[in-house]
Amino acid sequence: MKMTKIYEGSHQWIMFGRDEGKPGNIVDTNQYVVRTANRCLLLDPGGAELFAPMMAAVLHHAPVDQITDLFASHQDPDVISSLGLWDQALTNAKLHAPAIWEGFLRHYSCESIEYVPIPDNGGTIKLESVELQIIPAHYLHSSGNFHVYDPQAKILMSGDVGAAIEGPDSPVFVDNFAAHVEKMRYWHQRWMPSNQAKRVWIERVRNLDIDILAPQHGRMFKGDDVKRFLDWFDALQVGIAV
Amino acid sequence: MTNQTKSQFIAVASITSELSAVMVVAKEISLAAANAKAIAFRAGDKAKGFQPITDFINELAKETIELVTNINIYALVLYRLTVDEFQKTAAYNKFELAAKMAEGAVYAKSMQEPVDHARLSMQDCQRQFKRDVSQLLGQLEAVMHHARAARVIAANSRIEASQAGEYLQSLQAVAESVDKAAHTIHDNVQRCRIALSIYRNS
Ligand SMILES: [Fe+2]
Ligand SMILES: [Fe+2]
Repeated sequence: MKMTKIYEGSHQWIMFGRDEGKPGNIVDTNQYVVRTANRCLLLDPGGAELFAPMMAAVLHHAPVDQITDLFASHQDPDVISSLGLWDQALTNAKLHAPAIWEGFLRHYSCESIEYVPIPDNGGTIKLESVELQIIPAHYLHSSGNFHVYDPQAKILMSGDVGAAIEGPDSPVFVDNFAAHVEKMRYWHQRWMPSNQAKRVWIERVRNLDIDILAPQHGRMFKGDDVKRFLDWFDALQVGIAV
Repeated sequence: MTNQTKSQFIAVASITSELSAVMVVAKEISLAAANAKAIAFRAGDKAKGFQPITDFINELAKETIELVTNINIYALVLYRLTVDEFQKTAAYNKFELAAKMAEGAVYAKSMQEPVDHARLSMQDCQRQFKRDVSQLLGQLEAVMHHARAARVIAANSRIEASQAGEYLQSLQAVAESVDKAAHTIHDNVQRCRIALSIYRNS
């Protein structure tokens, strides 16, 4: 599992991904960790297959008992089918996840972890002195969907928005936006169901000061590429399967 | 899933299917008993010895149904335990793998506690399963006992039936059906016991 520190300040952001040991037939994912002095938040911790490499990778940054919070942007298996395993490994942890998915996500087993339901209008996650904003992203692509924004690090973890399917050796940042567009087009057109939801999200996100847009698949966008992505996404017609 | 887990799942599932057949047959016995009672009543003095036997058959069928109902509840508990054990074992294996992959990481040692905890709860499950299997085997033994008793009664019924004059044939048919049913119960329960006996607490 490749680890890349993407923010270092009063706290840290680390991106995990490009796992060489991953079976070829499951989709590659990026996991993000926010590390404060004594706590650790895992954003979209990944599928059950990814649990062991992910746990091993996190142990380079934090001991098990300091993994106190998990966040699931939505209910998909590539996002959170590892829940049952985290549930058994962690004591005193919380799962921040969409309220409407609670009864569904509990199928993955959630016995010791406390489910903290996120209402439709979002909320915050407090990690010691760091306050992260939970940004609604409903219907992008899931009916109950959230992103996480860190105003201090200026990072927006954007779930499946901005995603692309990439090879295991690809760089973690977009380096040629024009070339990258082709890897994203079909994904967004096919997975994102609603032009209206897209418009509302873009309006909301344009008001945020973002240095890094960090999707759950593919590469992150940095600096001007963030605005390029928003403009490109704004002009794209989605929901093409019907 | 390992072969051992697979066969454990199959063993537990087979109890329920064998027992549902036992239930059907036990109900047949109960029906045969009611039938026999009616015939014995009509036969009057000629079937005097047969009357208490029909009550006995009926009682036996009722008890068997009750036992099997209880065993089915138990089998469900056993099934849940099997699922639980499967999940705990999977978790333990993943935790061990994570600990191995974390070798050299600053906080690798902190994985030891989850690994130990997972091992203990997996072993707890295995012990509980063995304990419950032993108890279930005991209950199945009780059903076998009932089936054996039913066969003895069927033999007695035949003797009594031979003195019932024109009712001989219909009473003999009752005895036959009780005997056949008891045989089926015996065989089915025996199969359950064999499937489970390898998991018994030794
Ligand atoms: Fe998804
Ligand atoms: Fe995804």
